[in-house]
Amino acid sequence: MTVKKLKKAAFDKWVAACIGNQRVFGVQAKEDRFVFAPLANAGDLRLDYDVTILPPKKYFLPPRETLLKFDRKEGFESVFDSQPFVLFGVHPYDMVAISQTDKLFAMDQYDTHYFDRRQKATIVACDVQNASKEVFAGCMGTATVDDGFDILITKIDSEYLVDIRTEKGQALADTIKDAEDADEMSLKLRKLVWADNTKLLQKHKLNVRPDVLPRLLDRSYEHPVWEEKAQRCFSCGSCNLVCPTCYCFDVRDDVEWSLQKGQRYRVWDGCLLSEFAAVAGGHNFRRNRADRYRHRYYRKGKYIPEKIGEVACVGCGRCITACTANIANPVEVYNKLVDEGK
Amino acid sequence: MSKLKVAFFDFACCEGCQLQIYNLEEEILDLLELVEPVEWREAMSDQSDDYDVAIIEGSITRIEDEKRLKAIRENAKILIALGSCATTGGVNKLKNNFEVQDVKEYVYGKDADMPHLDTYPTKAVNEVVKVNYMVHGCPINIKEFSYIVRCLAIGKEPKIPDYSVCVECKMKENVCRFEYGEICLGPITRAGCDAKCPSSGMWCFGCRGFVDNPNVNAAEDVMAEYGKTLDDLRGKMLLFGSKQEY
Amino acid sequence: MYKCDSKKDIYLPLPATVGKVQPMTKYESFFSCQLDSGEELGHMPGQFVEVSIPGIGEAPISVSSSPTRKGSFEMVIRKVGNVSKALHGLAAGDKLFIRGPFGTSFPVDEAMKGKDIIFVCGGIGIVPVRSAIQYVLDNRDDYGRVIILFGAKTPHDRLFIEELDKWREEKNVTFLETVDHRDENWSGPEGVITTLLPLVKVDKDNTVAVVCGPPIMYKFVIIVLLEAGLREDQIYLSLERNMKCGVGKCGHCQISNIYVCQDGPVFRFSDITDIEEAL
Repeated sequence: MTVKKLKKAAFDKWVAACIGNQRVFGVQAKEDRFVFAPLANAGDLRLDYDVTILPPKKYFLPPRETLLKFDRKEGFESVFDSQPFVLFGVHPYDMVAISQTDKLFAMDQYDTHYFDRRQKATIVACDVQNASKEVFAGCMGTATVDDGFDILITKIDSEYLVDIRTEKGQALADTIKDAEDADEMSLKLRKLVWADNTKLLQKHKLNVRPDVLPRLLDRSYEHPVWEEKAQRCFSCGSCNLVCPTCYCFDVRDDVEWSLQKGQRYRVWDGCLLSEFAAVAGGHNFRRNRADRYRHRYYRKGKYIPEKIGEVACVGCGRCITACTANIANPVEVYNKLVDEGK
Repeated sequence: MSKLKVAFFDFACCEGCQLQIYNLEEEILDLLELVEPVEWREAMSDQSDDYDVAIIEGSITRIEDEKRLKAIRENAKILIALGSCATTGGVNKLKNNFEVQDVKEYVYGKDADMPHLDTYPTKAVNEVVKVNYMVHGCPINIKEFSYIVRCLAIGKEPKIPDYSVCVECKMKENVCRFEYGEICLGPITRAGCDAKCPSSGMWCFGCRGFVDNPNVNAAEDVMAEYGKTLDDLRGKMLLFGSKQEY
Repeated sequence: MYKCDSKKDIYLPLPATVGKVQPMTKYESFFSCQLDSGEELGHMPGQFVEVSIPGIGEAPISVSSSPTRKGSFEMVIRKVGNVSKALHGLAAGDKLFIRGPFGTSFPVDEAMKGKDIIFVCGGIGIVPVRSAIQYVLDNRDDYGRVIILFGAKTPHDRLFIEELDKWREEKNVTFLETVDHRDENWSGPEGVITTLLPLVKVDKDNTVAVVCGPPIMYKFVIIVLLEAGLREDQIYLSLERNMKCGVGKCGHCQISNIYVCQDGPVFRFSDITDIEEAL
């Protein structure tokens, strides 16, 4: 649609206007890290962040989400209780992850609970201003993004380019004041930012093209790396939980004190957790740590690509940071498979 | 539906876990719709041997405790261990790092050998009798206790997490304590507390005991990575993890 | 983004009523149910449903009756978890809640048509296969020879006892059964199910095998079938996994790149021979 150029003051005013008009979640500091959280003041928005602890998936697939309410006599009723909201500051790699999850939740059976939240969101993406310590999005083709969002913000020197792509984005941008259309020069500079980011967001270097990963994994099922890494795995599931493309969940019921009414909810789950593949009666189809560890790599690098045609790792590096045992670096593992396959 | 008759019994502990139940405040009335306490020293003066559920708080540290506990087990259809002292031996197991005689002399001085002060190395409740359900934690998470009671009332096995505190900690989006150079026991400790300590800026003390299959061997490597030693880790585990069975 | 007109909630179970409950063994009970909407379940043999009891939870359960038998659908439930235990507490007239049917079915209208069929069922594996057996018997002229092999651990573990006798007496059905361990009341064969296979002659080019049983059984039965000359694409089997959501989202039933709840539970053996975690 259009690209606007705003000075810092106008940009802050626009953010403030957004906050005044609707529910806004934006990136803010939490201790020494960053998180998406309800945004009360435009001044709290930190578009200079490197990476958030949790990806924005928490707004579309909350850690605990009520799916149904029930009365033990009457039965079940769907619960859709989300309100429209704006998500400010989604990095390109996270945007790619959201688009992937969209595909997977729409595929075959359409998940109305996911899309109820998803469709109520206006996503304001923003290009990365500071690379995080472990990011490798540049190797995964996700350092920049061209679709999925409603608005894309790119900071050029002290000014902001606001690229409005959808009607939802336009509606949000209606409150922009004191803006001019972006000039040719700014758009050229933006291209430079994109080129730079692709280079800068490579704190780890993947020695293989991402689209080769499925074939690489095809021949690596018996590779010793799975056992070797898993020996140090706590099965804590941290790598799953912080991953923007992980979306597995468990479903549970809880009754109120009355024992009559209650809720059926889903909670985040993770394939690294020991009971993930256990069935009623106790048999566990993935009892060994190494089997679970390997499953995660195959899911990201082979199984999901076979479904949607994209590798389900966007290079955010959150798993590397979150893993206390320091065994979750996908680049290290994939490079090992490349080296030893030669 | 008839109410479950419940009796509370306390052994070596601070009775703080029972106190958590009063912290249900108005919800305690809901609880009393489901259960009928017949013995509850902290709350009432009645005593009774007629109960379905025995809730045991505290650990077993004396020969007469063991006898009393076995008699309770005989009487109860369901036995619940309440709180760390009961589920793992808890803080009381610190004692097991020393010779019993030394402990007695340290605590009781010249009276150490008085027969009524006799004691032996601490045991968790399930080291003495069969336990049906464990409510972990120091103190217990009252939400988990309530959930377990409701499960029993509708006839379902409660699902107690067999995954680590990291799961709940990540869901809370806490900054990992390891990033501050601290040793946190979260990765090997059973979840169910909503990661209360890390959410309050403290490392996990491991009060809920280990997950079923903790990768304790991996800990050494990991400690080295953070410039720590296994002794540093053992030091952290001493408080709740002393001589813990896993 | 993906728009969809359907507001259908894939997680919403629909009410059904228990028509009949009958204990079958110490752990297994038979349930016949009807959707309260009055509609047929609309399943094919081999598919499963997610059965809910509000407050207790939801569990995947095979449909054990054939869609050719209208009016109600049947399940056999083994007491293993919260939901199945609660189901055992239900009586005729009680409510339960259903999602589904889900998953793939035995190819009764495709690959099996016109062919000899050999059903190999171990223990509770007879439950989903019974649906296909009934379907085949109800359309008997569409198929060649019908061979049913059934093995149970002990005589006490036999399911559908009356129906087994009916199959035994059926003129154009070959029915053989065995128990792993006999007792004083059992005069039939003793031995694992693979001991029955050499007793029947199969036309190796014109037979489809349908296999279902505990994980350990598959390896042995498949070897014997392949030795008898069947090709991998003539063997169909049903796998068990933790099919939590039933709709290919929650991830629990995934083995390699397949979701058992969608791509299974019924698989053609030739399609999963390369899948490491399948058997």
